[in-house]
Amino acid sequence: MRLYLRLLGAHFRSMMEYETDFLILAAATVLMQVVNIVFLSALFAKVPVLNGWTFWSVLMMFGAVALAEGVGSLFFDGMWSLAWQINRGELDYFLVRPYPVALQVSSAALGINGLSNIVTGGLMIAAGLAHSAVDWTPWRVALAVLLLLSSVVIKVSINLATNAVCFWLNSPSPMFAFAMHQVGDLARFPLSIYPVALKAVLGVVLPFAFISFFPIAYLLDTGSSQWVGLLTPVAAVYCAAVAALIFRRGLRRYESAGN
Amino acid sequence: MPIVEARGLTKVFRRPDKGSGLGGAVKHLFARRYSDKVAVDHVDLSIEAGEAVAYVGPNGAGKSTTVKLLSGILVPTSGEVRINGLHPQRDRNTVAYQIGVLFGQRTQLWWDLPVSESLAVLRDIYGVDHATYRKRLARFDEVLELGEILPVIGRKLSLGQRMRADLAAALVHGPQVVYLDEPTIGLDLAVKDRVREFFRSLRDEGTTVMLTSHDLADIEGFCRRLVIIDQGRIIFDGDLEGVKDTFARERILHVETARPLPLEAVRAALPGAEINIEETPLRYAVRFDRFVMTAGQVVTVLATLTELVDFRVDEPSIEDVIRRVYSGDLVLPR
Repeated sequence: MRLYLRLLGAHFRSMMEYETDFLILAAATVLMQVVNIVFLSALFAKVPVLNGWTFWSVLMMFGAVALAEGVGSLFFDGMWSLAWQINRGELDYFLVRPYPVALQVSSAALGINGLSNIVTGGLMIAAGLAHSAVDWTPWRVALAVLLLLSSVVIKVSINLATNAVCFWLNSPSPMFAFAMHQVGDLARFPLSIYPVALKAVLGVVLPFAFISFFPIAYLLDTGSSQWVGLLTPVAAVYCAAVAALIFRRGLRRYESAGN
Repeated sequence: MPIVEARGLTKVFRRPDKGSGLGGAVKHLFARRYSDKVAVDHVDLSIEAGEAVAYVGPNGAGKSTTVKLLSGILVPTSGEVRINGLHPQRDRNTVAYQIGVLFGQRTQLWWDLPVSESLAVLRDIYGVDHATYRKRLARFDEVLELGEILPVIGRKLSLGQRMRADLAAALVHGPQVVYLDEPTIGLDLAVKDRVREFFRSLRDEGTTVMLTSHDLADIEGFCRRLVIIDQGRIIFDGDLEGVKDTFARERILHVETARPLPLEAVRAALPGAEINIEETPLRYAVRFDRFVMTAGQVVTVLATLTELVDFRVDEPSIEDVIRRVYSGDLVLPR
């Protein structure tokens, strides 16, 4: 853990050298979230309740997605350069060090814009909670933390798995993972508004719904199948295991690069 | 038991056959065709602990691919590798502590960190204790003059500085086996000498070293065993001195004389030698087999026939020998 932060920290210095880049990126990220909220309030000005979901509960889902994405880019941004790393043969040295290769890959970059996503996401969740009528017991607080953690694990695992597909695609850019990431945006809205096929994709194939919809439905006691939210930690373990398996399989196909 | 062992090691790369230009790329989308390139072809190699081995071959012969297979970076298409009896992929973590790898063409230093920080990160990855680390660093400093480059940021290093820092990085954990792949490439002569001296000190400490190079000066005076690879196959594996004795028997004595040499008399006195007149007047080259006569004998004979002004003996470098092997001139016994 300490070592991981150390590896990440190696990129912090260079990050700080480009202060303006950092500020622009941070501002853009916040702006994007503001646009999201404006869009959301315009939508809810027309339809006050969406399949039982209010503005504040959907805002919480937006917040959960932003938080998970934020953690993904602040701590694991290197995954997004995996395609490039494979293409350039950058894994050579990673493979001869006694440290998990996936963690060396994910620590190869630091997405400082993740910080603003974490902050705005956290604020959105807090605002949503403030407008909810949840009866907070210590047990429920602990559960909420566990669900949130699991949702982050799911997002990061999906990032790893979809980026690891590059071991097969031989493409120098993370197009596939990016496309899947876009699909994940759908999980900002209640799953119940989508047709069955899309439900199956978001709930099972690429379980983005476990990042936001299921855990929040459980916490807020909204919708018809709240118990599914309790499966979020199981989904997290499953996603992490599948991602690790795909990555390990992919690593066997790694061909380095000629000199 | 050998510390590094490869049996029937083979690596086949599959490359898409794309025609030239955009048309070819589009066609490839619909009709995928691939061709197989055999980079390493049934290589058997076994290296004993403490041995220093030179692994040479022309560009594209499969040297780097072999190193990547032996260090577990690539998974072989067939055949197997054992390091201290361990499987480099299955036991990746354990093997990582035992091997050190340097790719001369690629750095493992962190671009944005000073060298000292990069080395400290590696120290922590390998869990080297601080006392041992300081001792190793001091030793690297002795030969590589590391001290002056420790505060330099990775991306600001010159090539020679980078290579010295990378050598230290590859050895921070005191590995038993070290693969050095083109460790002197692009270096100027002064740095090359320093780096070569460092290799010798490594060898003398009992580290097993496999040195890959196409600069043959790297291997002369460094190792006794020579392995030559060409087109993925090992074409020679044996004693370096043996190769020289067998194929580099020839010596050339260049002489400058005060008066013209009586060529007929020289030929009669030195049967088997070949005398050539060089472009400058009063200069001659005498080619002879060092197992038939010594340079001393040749000089003595010439001195009795005329007055010598100057002379010099050339011996062929291992480089010449290997060049002749590549070109198919020489066939070495296996």
